[in-house]
Amino acid sequence: MPEPALRADPPIVEIRDLHKSFGPIEVLQGIDLTIGRGEVVCLLGASGSGKSTMLRCINHLEQPDRGFVLVDGMLVGGNVRDGRVHEAAPTEVAERRSRIGMVFQQFNLFPHMTVLDNVTLAPVRVKRVGRAAAQAAARTLLERVGLSAKADAYPGQLSGGQQQRVAIARALAMEPALMLFDEPTSALDPELVGEVLDVMRDLAASGMTMIVVTHEMGFARNVATRAVFLDDGLIVEQGPPEQVIGAPTHDRTRAFLAKVL
Amino acid sequence: MTTGAAMRVDAEQLAGMADTRLVRRRRIGATLLNVVVALLVVAAVVELVVNPNFDWPIVARYLFDTNVLEGVLVTLELTVYAMVIGLVLGVVLAVLRQSRSGLARGAAWSYIWFFRGTPVLVQVLFWGFAASLFPRVGIGLPGGLFLVSWDTNAVVPIFAAAVLGLGLNEAAYMAEIVRGGLLSVPSGQTEAARTLGLGHAETLRFVILPQAMRVIIPPIGNQVISMLKMTSVVLVIGVADLLGSVTEIYARNYRQIALLLVASIWYLALTTLLTYGQSRLERRFGRGISRLEDDRA
Ligand SMILES: Nc1ncnc2c1ncn2[C@@H]1O[C@H](COP(=O)(O)OP(=O)(O)OP(=O)(O)O)[C@@H](O)[C@H]1O
Ligand SMILES: [Mg+2]
Repeated sequence: MPEPALRADPPIVEIRDLHKSFGPIEVLQGIDLTIGRGEVVCLLGASGSGKSTMLRCINHLEQPDRGFVLVDGMLVGGNVRDGRVHEAAPTEVAERRSRIGMVFQQFNLFPHMTVLDNVTLAPVRVKRVGRAAAQAAARTLLERVGLSAKADAYPGQLSGGQQQRVAIARALAMEPALMLFDEPTSALDPELVGEVLDVMRDLAASGMTMIVVTHEMGFARNVATRAVFLDDGLIVEQGPPEQVIGAPTHDRTRAFLAKVL
Repeated sequence: MTTGAAMRVDAEQLAGMADTRLVRRRRIGATLLNVVVALLVVAAVVELVVNPNFDWPIVARYLFDTNVLEGVLVTLELTVYAMVIGLVLGVVLAVLRQSRSGLARGAAWSYIWFFRGTPVLVQVLFWGFAASLFPRVGIGLPGGLFLVSWDTNAVVPIFAAAVLGLGLNEAAYMAEIVRGGLLSVPSGQTEAARTLGLGHAETLRFVILPQAMRVIIPPIGNQVISMLKMTSVVLVIGVADLLGSVTEIYARNYRQIALLLVASIWYLALTTLLTYGQSRLERRFGRGISRLEDDRA
């Protein structure tokens, strides 16, 4: 069966009518969002509004109940054949997922491996890069996040800020086309937040496409190309950050900003 | 009772003293306990040396007897094989118990239910008599229509029956130990591995199992030690392990106590060795975590 002609350069993320429930609670109630290459989108919203769930639908850690998410024109977890969406093979899912980096609030570094092993694990085991080449690339990345000296340390020996920078390097090692950040600085002591945001700012400047869930309004204002405000599983307001954060039009946005600013 | 004021001390006097460390109070209870324990130890040692029934010369004669040494070897072999079967099958069962397939979960659960719920002695006897349960083993249809078949006694010699009995039983316990270890690894670790593109098997092998090891090793150490002793139940199906070899000897010379001492000395020596090995392994798998504790200390 001939496939319809594909767009040559699809948006990096295209979310349509995304619904997701956990039991009786509908956490996402129909999200539509399109993100272009190189954009830095800050996702704002109160606790429980569905920000994490939305990020996790993008890399298929959660499966949508209705609607879909396309990343680089592909369904991460499925393939379209004969007018139906068929579950993709685990290897396909893994391959597509590896092009989407994710940074967690709790870092989730592998505690039994050195920093260097954390960063090289996926390139060596998934992309089959030679160990030496992977290590050289990892050292370059560690230098980029300011941690060349810590290559042989274990995560437990690092501060929270250092751990989060390693987590960013680890995600970058797979050369992702898109980076997801879920409250990357929320678990950090205030004095360590800056070093992580600096790394993220550099990453944005290098042209990386980023979706960032954050309560750091300074970062959202200065770095984001767009701010999206989520309330109760729906996008209620979006636009340039100075507009959404500086002059919100929606009551819920105002109420939220009054609390975090 | 002395009042607070009367207990006051002169700071100058205290400052002039060479040594201000506390002189320990005498603890009557502890002293008494020490005396009692010391007396018991002396009595036990005297009894061991003086009581002729312990027969130390016989113990010494048989400690390195060839039959006994062969028995020790058999005991070690049984332990190793049974533990290998137990560990491999245990990991498989533990993974199946977390499977998405309900049938696989049910099968693993039933296995554990059955093998934990019946005495190992009964299981070993079962395997010993397997030949009468299934006189022939082979490939074919249920109900005895074989395409090819062999005499069970030839395929499952008595030593193999012993290993199977012990190993299959062990797997049930090991499965629960391994499952506990897998559950102890936070789910964020799996998610991080998944987002990096690692598959199910790779996540298990490189991320989950190495961390689960830290939780799994201490109880496995206990299992090995208890297996070493549990192997002695194979006596009932006539395997000449350590215990079997000494019973054979005392059946001839009637020196039961001396020969049971020989067996005990060997069991103790082996378990001591295993305990040492266990502590080495624990240190090895504490990497990353214990190092943190070392640094903070
Ligand atoms: N796996 C799950 N099972 C059941 N309920 C869930 C699950 N994940 C999320 N939820 C629920 O979905 C709702 C939205 O959760 P989500 O984590 O997406 O919110 P959030 O906007 O990221 O909030 P926060 O700022 O607190 O991280 C919450 O009520 C949460 O309890
Ligand atoms: Mg969240």
